[in-house]
Order: sequence, then structure tokens, then C-alpha cells
Amino acid sequence: MLFPQGAAARTDPQTVSGTIYDAVIVGGGIAGAIVANQLSRAGQRVLLLEAGLGEDLTLEGYEDYLTRFYSAVSKDNQSPYPPNANAPMPRPSQVRKITPGRPDSSGYLVQNGPYATDSTYTRVLGGTTMHWEAKVMRMLPEDFEMASRHGQGLDWPIGYGDIEPYYQAAEREIGVSADVADQAYLGVTYPPGYVFPMRGLPLSYLDKMVAAGVDGTEVEAGGERVALKVRPFPQGRNGIPNPDYDGGRGYIPVGAVSTHQVEEGGRCQGNNNCVPLCPVQAKYHAGKTLAKALGNGVELLAQAVAYRVHTDPVNGRVTHIEFRSYRDPSSPEYVTGTARGRIFVLGASAIENARLMLASGLKSSSGLMGRNLMDHAYLLNWALLPDIAGTGRGTNSTGGIVDLRGGSFRGRHAGFGIDIHNDGWGWATGSPFSDLLHIVDAQHKFGPELRRALVDQVSRQLLLAFMIEVPPSQSNRVTVDPVHRDQLGNMRPVISYSVPDYTMRGAAYGRRLAQRIFERLGAEDYTAYDPADPGYVTYEGQGYAIRGGNHLGGTHIMGTSPANSVVDTALRAWDHQNLYLVGGGAMPTIGTANVTLTIAALCFKSAEHMIEQLRAERAPVALSGSTSGSAQ
Amino acid sequence: MTDAKITTIEQLHAYLYAALQLEHATIPPYLTALYSLRNESNSPAWRILRVVVVEEMLHLSLAANVMNAVGGTPDLTAPDFVPDYPACLPDGEDDFAVDIQSFSAAAVDTFLMIERPAQAPRAELRLVPRGASARHLLAASPTAPGMQYYSIGEFYAEISRGLRYLSDEYAREGRELFTGDRRRQVTPEFFYSGGGEPIVVTGLESALRAVDFIAGQGEGLGGGIYDAGNELAHYYRFEQLKAGRYYQKGDQPGRPTGPALWVDWGNVYPVLKNAGLDDYPTGSELRRVAHEFNETYAGFLRFLTKAFTGQPELLLEAVPQMFRLRDDIRRLIRNPIPGRDGVHAAPTFEMPGVAGSAAGSTA
Repeated sequence: MLFPQGAAARTDPQTVSGTIYDAVIVGGGIAGAIVANQLSRAGQRVLLLEAGLGEDLTLEGYEDYLTRFYSAVSKDNQSPYPPNANAPMPRPSQVRKITPGRPDSSGYLVQNGPYATDSTYTRVLGGTTMHWEAKVMRMLPEDFEMASRHGQGLDWPIGYGDIEPYYQAAEREIGVSADVADQAYLGVTYPPGYVFPMRGLPLSYLDKMVAAGVDGTEVEAGGERVALKVRPFPQGRNGIPNPDYDGGRGYIPVGAVSTHQVEEGGRCQGNNNCVPLCPVQAKYHAGKTLAKALGNGVELLAQAVAYRVHTDPVNGRVTHIEFRSYRDPSSPEYVTGTARGRIFVLGASAIENARLMLASGLKSSSGLMGRNLMDHAYLLNWALLPDIAGTGRGTNSTGGIVDLRGGSFRGRHAGFGIDIHNDGWGWATGSPFSDLLHIVDAQHKFGPELRRALVDQVSRQLLLAFMIEVPPSQSNRVTVDPVHRDQLGNMRPVISYSVPDYTMRGAAYGRRLAQRIFERLGAEDYTAYDPADPGYVTYEGQGYAIRGGNHLGGTHIMGTSPANSVVDTALRAWDHQNLYLVGGGAMPTIGTANVTLTIAALCFKSAEHMIEQLRAERAPVALSGSTSGSAQ
Repeated sequence: MTDAKITTIEQLHAYLYAALQLEHATIPPYLTALYSLRNESNSPAWRILRVVVVEEMLHLSLAANVMNAVGGTPDLTAPDFVPDYPACLPDGEDDFAVDIQSFSAAAVDTFLMIERPAQAPRAELRLVPRGASARHLLAASPTAPGMQYYSIGEFYAEISRGLRYLSDEYAREGRELFTGDRRRQVTPEFFYSGGGEPIVVTGLESALRAVDFIAGQGEGLGGGIYDAGNELAHYYRFEQLKAGRYYQKGDQPGRPTGPALWVDWGNVYPVLKNAGLDDYPTGSELRRVAHEFNETYAGFLRFLTKAFTGQPELLLEAVPQMFRLRDDIRRLIRNPIPGRDGVHAAPTFEMPGVAGSAAGSTA
């Protein structure tokens, strides 16, 4: 995918400040990129403000990320992305255990606790899709009706049927590899004849080893018996194009992005470091959509951090966004700029959207701005299989068990999906680096013996990651405090969060299930949760280490009225008729699907409304002597 | 001249076999230059070489598709399939040597000659008497010994002409030229590189498209720098390395105006040019590893032959296979040859069991 040369420097703060755009978008991640592309395709003049560095997306720039990752000691999901004090991002290494009553402000997120999250989002061009895993499940129909079906959480104001066409648009944009037969379960339906852009990626050898022991096993959940089965996940990475896609027109995979022609990333090579960065760009990242948007003429102003949303005190409409434009990431110097437009779109992530609105004094008439912060709670379980299982091959996660994502049990405890990790115990223990150190330092092995020991250890590792739903809770929230600011003077997000009991009941069930699965596989359970872990949570006398999922949602939820929500079904703020808040923040619940596909689908839906609004508001108003007859 | 014209199906098969040979023959020099680049440096050079190699694999698949479509049997395991290096390619009325060597300005010059657009200035020069070189010449006429094509482009022009001619002849006789088993065709499902995709050959139109694609991806289309698929032609990709600048849409040949690129010509392993097993001391580890590589490479050609003769789905496994080739080639290239004053080893691409090469012996 060609990135138009020089497109990242098409405009400057002064020019921007003297221009009125049709739409001003904050954030160059997947949400901002999709909206920018849709609006520009419809002929609208679009400005995209990006907080991170804004050079043209080139293969060389991407390789700098890779080099940084390769040389990093800690290979965490932010390791490829350099520090930027003017657009800081949360990093797993910053998380500290919280002493009750003493918020930890040592990292970018100020954490009130009691639970300290290690969840992250990435503030670079392309956003968190640079480091994401690219697992792209649709939400279940019942996920949209949690309150009425299960008496938990909230109902969405729209249902599966409403979002289904937009899921298709998102699957096209991301380029999803999956087979309908594998993905039609628990009520998820597709239109007759639908196929994904690319064929499903195969299960790994490890998946098949697990399947051999698990498939058909019945478990009891909510009084019902459920048979388990290992299924492939739909993936946002390039596979074999399906010639039947799009009514037989097929699909052309989108490879690497650069200002010059490169042919790479046309197909996944199984490098197994999707997170934090695919070495060949076979994994979708929002740069692929941004390249298209910039090709349509979208103006990008990077190194421009939105500082304040200004509104008209009479009608609530946004008048402009004040931003701070910096030259050097390490210097606090900046110039103030003003972005004006007919409509405004915040797509800066659930936490940053809420942070910006609250820092602007815009709490929403519902009082819900920043509340209902959600993120999947991950419970890791790890064991050693009796036989070599090929761990370390394939992409990070190709298959898992999804049968308990939904069901009547959700009245009592959270549903979850189980990921089988082809990258072994890495997430839980730092393997294979920790294994290497142990074999050298503690077992004093070297040469061929060391090599054999490492293979024996790593290729038998099984990590089951339980991705557990977290229902909305008003006390889980983002706030701001003028005391806590970043280098540029932006207020930092203050997070208050506890893992709900509903989720922990799911975790407790999940832990027992993992033990059962390990038993069936003859695997030796090595799972141990350290009370010193910042994510350690005690529930009914048992301790669990809960990891964040980077699946942030719920800070400006969608609903049926200004009293129960921040945005309407078009993601337009009830209080500000020309402001759209897009991204995971608009989701009233996050179910047990990774959030990005749903975020993308909602953006396609929202962009339709934006275009409608822009056209309607620009249409000449019929002045017929009576005000009641004017154009609606 | 008339001797070289394709007038029978057997001659067409012979030409298509020569096309397979030709498309393959560039792969060992390109791979060696590619892996002579030291790791994680020279990214632009690395990328350009890599994509050209992948696309030569595509050309190989396309030539196989055409051959299968007209009832031929691609065989990459025939004793003469892999040339002795230096191989020899036509250069007008002369020829030039294609060496297996390190990435260098000289290597890039050779690559430019391989991919250079060249049309015979006069029709009677399309086919010319062979130059003085006794070496095996690629893109020679398989049917008229002693004659060579003016350029690779002219060689493919004859294949296109032959396809048209035979198609007409067969039609006149009420016969079908394209009788091949469609299941042998490499389809886009089983191969794609981002730089074009396989053309399924089922008749004259698709066969000509495939041949045009092979010729055009090397040298551009109709004098332009892009091919039919809007991909920068190989010649101009290599030219970027010398110009220190990328081409972009709208550029004229020879005048790239895209982003600058940088080549670190010195950051390369200096490998022995056209190394043979006999260059490695008897009984040495290098000799053993070089021999093992040749075995692996022969296995790779057997594997491709299987893929081209009824099991196209095997090509999905070509990626891990090529990773293995990469690792094996790097293992050789990273090692200096004892007593050669810092000159490094290289793969020899001598196919085991082929007469006249030392490949059969590891002693």
C-alpha cells in the first residue's frame, strides 16, 4: 500500500488554524483512520490530528520499530515504540502494586486502584493496531442484550442485526481470514453465501494437540451441559484470498505500507511476534487505512496533541479544538493551534477521549463521561505438556475454546473465551528468555545440551489465556486532576478500577476448568499467582493474578437517551450536536470479543451519519416565512 | 532464421522448458547477493532483491502454467536444468556472464543487464549467430543450435508468436492446443507475493498474458517503467540502487524522483565468485555444509516439480522451505574460507549427480 510521499507534512499548525474543515478528527488509530477514509471518499475536507510523531509511514520507519523491538530487553507490547513525553503512553513496566489510599502516579496513568491495570494503548500513527494481536471475533447477539437476557450490565440500543452489515465492512477493511463454518456459533449469523475476504488460517499443531484431548469434553455451566471444541479464530492477517468473496470478485490482500513500492506482507509467514509488531506487515494495522485516507487528500497534522474541546455555551456545539503542537518529543516547548470544523470526531481511545472531554470540563449531562471503563480481565494458566507440541510456531494465537463465551450461566458469572498461546508461557513468565536464563544459571548447561534443554522446555509449553468479560460499572472510571499533568501540560488520566465479583466468579470457574483441561491433557500445571503481583485479586479466599487486556471500552457509552448515556446510536454526543465520540468508549458492554472489530464496525456506521449531517447542514435552508418548515 | 520458429508442439515444449531454465537461472545469483548483505543493514537493497527473487518464483510458476496448459510437463530436476555458473545470457549479438557473487555495484550492473529492455533494432537481428563463448547460453534457441536471441524479450516474443501460430494451426485442423489438466495450474490461492499473481492459463489469451507478464515484469511495458500490474519493473527497481532514489508514478526512465534511498555498498560479506565445492578443502566442514546445501536445493527443485505437476497446494509450504534455504545460505556466507584471506564461502548450486560437477563427492 503506497503512502503518499510528503502526506504527513501537507499542512502545519498555522495553516490549520486559518482553515475551516468539514471534519476535524482527533487520533490516527483505526477509528480515526476509518472515519477519515469514509468522509474523504465522500468528498469532505478532513483534518486528522495525531498526538504522536508524524513522519510519512515508510518501510524504513517501520523497520526502526522492529529494530527497537529486537534490541529491547523487555519485549512488552510497547517495546517497539519510543518514549514521547509529549504524548506519553501507558507501559506494562510502569505498573506498581497499589497501597490502599495511595494512588500511584509514577507511570503515565495515575492509578487509584484498588486494582492496578497493566492495560495499554499505543500513541503513534496507526494507534494500538500497531501492537494488537488481530483476533477479530464478532460480538455474540446476546452480548448486545446482557441486561434483558441475563440481568447483568446494560443493553445496547442496537442489536446484532443492526451492526451486522457494518461487521462486513470492517471485515473487508481489516482483511479478515476466517471460514464462516468455524465462526457461526452461539447465535452469530451471516447472510446467506457470505464468505470472509480470505480463507481461515489453519489451527497450529499445538491447537490440534489440545483439541485431541479436549474436543467433546462436556462441562456444566449454569445448569447446562456444554461440549468444548477447539476452533480457529478469525484473524486480521493475510491468508489465502477467497475467490468467492464479494460475489466472486475475490479479494486482494493489502501488504506493507511505504512511500515507495514494496511487496511484502501479502501473506502471514508465521513469525510468531504479531504482538507487539508483525515483522512483515501481514497483520493489519491502521496505517493501511490511513494510507488510503491520505491518498484521498486528508490533511494530517501530527505532533499536535488535543488540549481542550471548546463549545458554544448556548447550543453546546463544539466551536474548535485547541491543540498543542510540539517539535521535539523531549522538549516541553509547544505552540497553541486551533482546529475548526463543521463536525468534530474524537477517536483517541476510550481513555484519551474521556480524558480530553473531562479536561475540557465536559462531563455529559448524564454524568457518565469517563464512567463504565471496561477491559477484558485475563487469567493466565500455564502447564507443561507431556510431549513436544511445537510451541513457538505459528502466529501468536490461532485457536481456542469459545463455547463459554455465551450461555444462560451469564446470569451468574462472566463468560469467557480461551486463547491457546502458540508463543508459550511468554506472557506469564517471560519465556523463552526466562527459560534460557534458568537453564544456564541454575542448571549450568551449555552447547548442545543447552539447546536440547531449551527445546524440551519451550516446545512443551501450553498457556491458556482466559479472556473474561467485565460488565460496566460506574465506579470503574477515568477522571482528571489538574495536579497530574504530562510534559505538555495535558491532564493525565486518573484510573479508578476494581475487578467486579461477576468477573471474578468467571475467573474462579475458569481456573477450575483450566485445571480440568490440563488433567485431561496429562499436562503438569505450573500456574502460580504471586501476591506481590500488581494485578493480584483475592476472591473467596483464593488469589488470582488478573492481567489487563488492552481492550478498553465504555467511557462514553451509547444509549437511548441523554439521561442514560453519552452518545446516541450514531455515536454523536447527546450534548454536542456536532461532536462524535468513536472507539471502544461508545460500547455499553464488551462481551467476550476483542473490541477492535466492533469499534471498526461502529465507525463505518457512524461515518454514514456524519456524511448525512454534513450534507444536511450544508444544504440551503428554505426560508418560506415560517420557521417550522425549514429543512430538517 | 526460419529454423528457430516454433511450428510444432514439441518445439513449443522445448521453448517453454528453456523459459523455465531461464527464469530459474537468475534465482541463485539473486539469492546469493541477497544473503551476502549483512543482517539488518542495507534495508533498501535487501527489499529490492527479495521482491525480485519472489517475482522470479512467480515467473517460474507462470512458465509452468503455460507449459501445463499446452500439455507439457515442467521438470526442474533434469540434469541440465541448473546452469553451471557463470551462466551466460544474450546481449544483442554478444553475450554476458551471470556470476554468483556478493552484492556489489558489479552485481547490480549484471542484474540490470539481465532485466534490461532490449528489442532487436532490425527484424533480421532478432535471432543472431551465437557469440564465441562456449558456455551454455540461456535464451538460446532450443531448436536452432548455434543461434541465440538478441535479448530475453525477443526470446519471449518467439514463444508468443509460436503460441499464436500453433493455436491457429490447431484450430484449422479442428484440434485443441490447450489440452492440459486444469488442476495442474498454480492459482492465486497458492501463490501471491504482492507483486502480481499467477495467471491461470486455459487458452491463447491467458497464455499470451502470462508470457507478456513474465517479460514485462522484468523490463516494463511499452517503454514505461511499470508493468501491466502497475508494479515497478525489475530493471527500474535495480536502477534505484544505483540512483540512490526510488521511482514513483509519473517518472521517466532514468530519472527517479521519489524518496531517497541509501545503499551501504561495503556492508557485505565478500564471497568467492562462482564458488565450486572444489574451492573448499577436502574433508572440511565448509565442504560438507556446501554439499548439504546442494542436496537441499535439489530437494527444493524436486518439490517445485511436484507442485507444478499436479500438487499446486504444495506451494504453500514454499515459504518455510525458502526460510530453510535462507538459513543454509547464510550459514555458508558467514564463514571465511580457510587460507583465502578473508574471502567467504558461498553456495555452489552444483546439483548432485550431475556429470562434470564436483557435487557428487564430499570427500
